[in-house]
Amino acid sequence: MKKKLVSMLMVAAMMATMVAGCGDSADGGDDSAAADNTTGDAAPAATETAPADDAAGAEAVTLKWAIWDQETTTYWQALADAYMVANPGVTIEMVDLGSADYMTVLATELSGEGSDFDVVTIKDVPGYATLVQKNAILPLDDYIAADGVDLTQYAGTTDQVTVDGKLYELPFRNDFWVLFYNKDIFDAAGVDYPTNDMTWEEYDALAREVTDTTFGSQVYGAHYHTWRSTIGLMGVLDGQHTILDGDYSFMKEYYDMVLAEEADGVCRSYSDLTTEGLHYSAAFTSGDTAMMNMGSWFISTMINNLASGEYDSSLCGNWGIVKYPHAEGVEAGSTLGTITGLAVTAASDTPDEAWDFVKWVSGTEGAQVMADTGNFPAIMTDEVMSTITGLEGFPTDDNSKAALEVSNLYLEVPYAENVSEINSILDTYHAMIMNGECTVDEGIESMNTEIGAILGQ
Amino acid sequence: MEKITAANVDTYQSELNALIVKIRTEADEKQKKKDLTRIDLLQRKISAFRTGSKVSRSTKRDLVAYSFIAPNFIGFAIFTLIPIVFAFLLAFMTWDGSNPIEWAGLSNFKKLASDTHFIAALKNTIIYCVGTVPLTMIMSLALAIVLNQKVIGRGIFRTLSFFPYVASLVAITSVWKMLFHPSKGPINNILLNVFGVAQDNLPQWFSGGLVMVSMILFSVWKYMGYYMVIYLAGLQGISGELYEAASLDGANTWQKFLYVTWPQLASTTFFVIVMLTINCFKVYDVAIMLAGGGKGELTLNSTVLVYYIYEKAFVEWKLGYSSAIAMVLFALVLIVTIIQFRGQKKYAE
Repeated sequence: MKKKLVSMLMVAAMMATMVAGCGDSADGGDDSAAADNTTGDAAPAATETAPADDAAGAEAVTLKWAIWDQETTTYWQALADAYMVANPGVTIEMVDLGSADYMTVLATELSGEGSDFDVVTIKDVPGYATLVQKNAILPLDDYIAADGVDLTQYAGTTDQVTVDGKLYELPFRNDFWVLFYNKDIFDAAGVDYPTNDMTWEEYDALAREVTDTTFGSQVYGAHYHTWRSTIGLMGVLDGQHTILDGDYSFMKEYYDMVLAEEADGVCRSYSDLTTEGLHYSAAFTSGDTAMMNMGSWFISTMINNLASGEYDSSLCGNWGIVKYPHAEGVEAGSTLGTITGLAVTAASDTPDEAWDFVKWVSGTEGAQVMADTGNFPAIMTDEVMSTITGLEGFPTDDNSKAALEVSNLYLEVPYAENVSEINSILDTYHAMIMNGECTVDEGIESMNTEIGAILGQ
Repeated sequence: MEKITAANVDTYQSELNALIVKIRTEADEKQKKKDLTRIDLLQRKISAFRTGSKVSRSTKRDLVAYSFIAPNFIGFAIFTLIPIVFAFLLAFMTWDGSNPIEWAGLSNFKKLASDTHFIAALKNTIIYCVGTVPLTMIMSLALAIVLNQKVIGRGIFRTLSFFPYVASLVAITSVWKMLFHPSKGPINNILLNVFGVAQDNLPQWFSGGLVMVSMILFSVWKYMGYYMVIYLAGLQGISGELYEAASLDGANTWQKFLYVTWPQLASTTFFVIVMLTINCFKVYDVAIMLAGGGKGELTLNSTVLVYYIYEKAFVEWKLGYSSAIAMVLFALVLIVTIIQFRGQKKYAE
């Protein structure tokens, strides 16, 4: 009997282990953590001597910076190098956490003790909300006031991520959504190019006009990547609605539009796309997609990959961009945006030096470095604009240049306390609507009830 | 422990000698045992005095034994036991991993009852288990029996059926997704062109109601090879004499299976079912790979408990709530396993 009890307990323990084992967190920064031991020891030692030796400034400080995709993203190294040239004595050490689950890994790294990051990159607002609620990053308001940083140059985006009057990040990169189109397809179909001032109805009509459903020579008038932001967020451009509303009926007309396009073969179907895992770049560059709504980050990808020959220029080399379409009665140039910011960790031993780096990267010097690498900095000056439009490979027509002028920028996700939870509910029902697992009305109804319950708490 | 001096060692020695003489003629079993214990104790005390050691030999012996267990147990305690206890406690608390832990009582569990996503995940997980466990067991047993015969190319067939288990999940899910692609996959094209299913009625294998069927079929196919090997080992352990005896009694093939093979495989089957059940309740990777949407999100038709635990814990940082879900999963597996143990016991008797 005793033996049986023991074996029962063993099985119970075994099962518990297996269940508990599922919650293993990914430990992405293993190698770097080991490598960092030496520098981690050196940094506090250096700062201890700093107050005694003010004239020399903070010498030999090492800032550990969390980033993603170091190999394929051009600006990390450029920013770090430029800063280190301007500030000798500061070493920027980058730790690549990978892009797929960057914010999840970062939040895990910053949970509890033992993190030695000084500066972290904020990839999205839900992740930002998590870090703010965990008290893992510092409010920057005192620094901003002391150094007189002008927040108006960020075009209102910082207001949308201010938490209880406090700002925890400064944006250094600001992407906004535009409409990419393939001129060759429009030429072949004898249809006029899209313009910088289109309503969604005009856009829909244009997409249908240029579509060819003939088997073997198919042309899709439009392409929507599988993200929720490509469809559900068309509705927030009027400035009246956000995804924090609790009432999502404003999304209905856009879901209806896209589902009708899907049914008529104007765009690829969502379930095909998720089954294939087709990347939006592959969809656009294969030469059978006339228009695609996508963020401005894709501009530098297009330029670089066409130059390197990775994209076939006979299929997609003749491309252009126009402003995002808009709802009736809304100003042209209203678009969605996402900001990428930098924050100082609460665990940093050298917050002052870390702040200096954050200020530099998100300031005008950092902006110029960003523009030189073909990316959109958070501060858009005329100089920055002309650097980007003057890049070798940027579409030469005037409309494409004018497309970069943004009149109203609405963040895809503004800050809210429960924004992660809201986001995952919206994502679930987006997938269900697009898969045809529920109707648009049912999906929106469920969004309303579930998110209403969260907001009502 | 009393102080041992040279004087009382002598008394111990004489008592010991007397006992040794007495025990030879002792008739009462109980008294004999008592005396033996006393002898053992006295011997230990005397030897402890003679060797001058402060720690008695028996304590030493115990310590040596514990030190052999220690490396394993310390690791087990730090990485398994303490986290399990902590996870259990967390289910009654609210915590985001950074801010102070707050006591939440039963509120996490109360919230579960009205959580649509949790209920969907629970339902899907159970459907998946109910579908996968018996099917995998039957398929692997059938395969094992076939491949235990002397068929031509037995080695090749055994390797082939084991292959899906060895192959990378990511790679084979990609192949499945190509095969079952809603518009371009060969399966749907056969349905369209050969069986004349209308374009609009073609099955969506990875969404809606069919997604669970796809997941179950996929899992059966992927894991049956592994359990086939276990069954093969079990089959080879059955003595040929039993079959011979059955043949002499005039049993046909089916009767041989029913009265020889199946009872002889009972312990193997028990092991297979327990492992299958536990593995099925843990399902996560298959769901994500087959049904994950644009950002890997699962819909109400495809969500499973472990995915929801991950989502709540590491995306939304509701560690208390996710622990509560983990406890539900734990209770579920525990109950099923206890039932299986009971069944096994009854069967064995």
